[in-house]
Amino acid sequence: MLKDFQTFGRDLFLAGLNSSHSGNLSVRCGDRIIITRRGAMLGHLEERDIIETGLDKNDSNIVLASTEIRVHRAIYKGTAALAIVHAHPVHATALSLLEDEIIPLDSEGAYLLHKIPVLGAEHTIGSQELEEKLPGLLKEYKIVMVRGHGSFAIGQLLEEAYQWTSSLENICRIIYITRTLKGEVKDKRSAKYKEW
Amino acid sequence: MGFYGWFGKTLRVNLSTGIITEEIIDPQVLADWIGGRGLGARIVAGEVPADCNPLGKENKLVFATGPLTGAGVPGAGRFSASAKSPLTGTILDSNAGGRWGIRLKQSGYDVLVIEGASTVPVYLTIADGKTALHEAGELWGDDVGETNDKLIDKLGKDVSIACIGPAGENLVKFASVMNDGYRALGRGGLGAVMGAKKLKAITVQGSQKVEVANAEKLNFMVYEAGKWLKANPITSLGLPEFGTPVLVNLFNELGVFPTRNFQDSQYPDAVNISGEAIAKTMTIGRKGCHGCPVQCTRLIKTKTGNTVGPEYESIWALGPECGIGDLEAIVKANHLCNRLGLDTVSTGVTIGCAMELKEKGILKTGPAFGDSAGLLQVIKQIAYREGDGNLLAEGSRCLAEECGAGQYAMQVKGLELTAYDPRGLQGMGLGFATSNRGGCHLRAYMAGPEALGVPKMVDRFSTGGKAGLVITQQNISAAMDSLIVCRFVNLAVSEEYFARILSAVTGVEYQNQDLHRTGERIWNLERLYNLQAGFDSFHDTLPPRLLEEPVREGPSGGRVVELKPMLDEYYRFRGWNESGVPTPGKLRVLGLEEFKC
Repeated sequence: MLKDFQTFGRDLFLAGLNSSHSGNLSVRCGDRIIITRRGAMLGHLEERDIIETGLDKNDSNIVLASTEIRVHRAIYKGTAALAIVHAHPVHATALSLLEDEIIPLDSEGAYLLHKIPVLGAEHTIGSQELEEKLPGLLKEYKIVMVRGHGSFAIGQLLEEAYQWTSSLENICRIIYITRTLKGEVKDKRSAKYKEW
Repeated sequence: MGFYGWFGKTLRVNLSTGIITEEIIDPQVLADWIGGRGLGARIVAGEVPADCNPLGKENKLVFATGPLTGAGVPGAGRFSASAKSPLTGTILDSNAGGRWGIRLKQSGYDVLVIEGASTVPVYLTIADGKTALHEAGELWGDDVGETNDKLIDKLGKDVSIACIGPAGENLVKFASVMNDGYRALGRGGLGAVMGAKKLKAITVQGSQKVEVANAEKLNFMVYEAGKWLKANPITSLGLPEFGTPVLVNLFNELGVFPTRNFQDSQYPDAVNISGEAIAKTMTIGRKGCHGCPVQCTRLIKTKTGNTVGPEYESIWALGPECGIGDLEAIVKANHLCNRLGLDTVSTGVTIGCAMELKEKGILKTGPAFGDSAGLLQVIKQIAYREGDGNLLAEGSRCLAEECGAGQYAMQVKGLELTAYDPRGLQGMGLGFATSNRGGCHLRAYMAGPEALGVPKMVDRFSTGGKAGLVITQQNISAAMDSLIVCRFVNLAVSEEYFARILSAVTGVEYQNQDLHRTGERIWNLERLYNLQAGFDSFHDTLPPRLLEEPVREGPSGGRVVELKPMLDEYYRFRGWNESGVPTPGKLRVLGLEEFKC
């Protein structure tokens, strides 16, 4: 378990999907959650950074858990997810400030994710509003962007949630680069994913 | 400068003469020392001779609110009291929550100074600028609950009461002042100072509004701070559900939970006395300070009735420190201490010391480790100074030295240590050793960075860089104790928020760095007072056990506190000489030249 957290935490950081202390990872084990410590550096996770606490019930470890523990719990309770990756991908975050949904232009992005909804909320960190709204969206989508904040991706494994996060940022980089080129986009396939 | 946040008034009550006066406080003094601990330190250092008898007429008891008290800031409903400590002989401050501080402020005063001593028991009433002394013969001898009941009957339910119990009356060196029933100015014996002055209680009522300089900015900052309080699991989940006992399992698992007078650092049955155990078997509700969203106080039911749940430190001191794991007995002991007006920490640690002295055959009488019935009996003996309790009432240092075994007193400068074994938290060791009021964890809460990751997680076994961290924490804690802000709220909301909040309330511009500098000024003034009172680098140390006896087993096994290198670095960083005396240059920078030794 520690090795998985270290691998994907490090990859998220090295890929620029998180800054030094941002983001968090968790997995569900029955009625328990294993989640990164509040303020942990995902690129340098150690044993002390992996915190186990209850899915429903608090215990003393709650004071060490990630600030997003409430949101992770709500997602697990509202979806079939067994793993969650929360990241702060730069291009996706920038795009979320302009769009209500992110439609991939590239084939792989469209194939994997089709469309990524953008959720706006007044409070976006450890927020009750996200607790209430994210699970519903994640029943339908693999990954959701919270406007101006970051992404929440789910999977059966950490690797899966990591993949959606990596793909999202790739999608957004392609959108950004395409827009800077200022030409006409020839391939219109992505338009159909508006209805996804 | 106008008075926003402050009323700019001190109420001075001389119990020897019965004269009551009001004074205007110099606005620059308020700006420089802020309130609470800062103002208290300045008044004690300026007016109380460092060589005086703490239980004599020369000692003064300074109650002080802060500019945020009553201004609608979460976690800022506190007040502090300062004096020369009868337990340690050092300068002392202690602060408490509840409503008493807000009501003192609403009565129109920032500061209340009690001086002299009465020849007969009295109580003081303060109500919207009307102050009077009354004979308290009928209250003398009553415990805290009885005193509260009688005064509320007489004055009405909108009164807040700070009073002493039998322990304070009998000059127990670690007697507390209890306010609003169960809140405590616990540490260092302020209750004995009140008892020596024959002052049984102070009641406050008030309706004056605290004026704020910039309400719009304040509302925005309170809103922003509220986001952090809601988002941080410590303040939004852990403390509301479990209170401070949430720390029992955490610190026990780290092997920093002292047991049997610090002979071990883990307690095998800690899980049975943990926050989780209390929540599961006893908790029936929660409450907290006025306007605080955290609401960390537990209301619990026991076999003998309902009461407030013990805090982490009290569970530890009256439990594992005495080898006791019976939760009902711990709760009962905590309740008893509150009724009698005893500091739960010093009570438990002093009894734990006596238990070890008995175990080693040095003391012939008294309870053994694990004897919960004996614990309850000796608590009463301490409060009434009966039998063995008379010696224990002097504190662990005096007890152990009287027995020729001073090394078994788990204290620094006479103040009993708290629930953190510093052999597994090196920075906490330095914090204990250098604390101006003795063995206190709150002067520099190094368990934050060393165990809870606040503000960041550091290697708890390393000594490197700890001096700088301890100094920063000591300085900022002194500032926060002057605003006055609850330490728990400060775990989630950093000082940069409070600098802005302070500016909005007072209209005086404070930056984050100003709070650090104010804290440093307070810390150095306290140090100067202690130097004049006879404390020097010799006293910046820890009990020999923590320096020489490695932890026997567990996650901190094999460790001792490596104090010397941290202490040398600490003095240099502080700008003190190798004897721990602030240099003239440091005093000049801090504007403390008038107080130099």
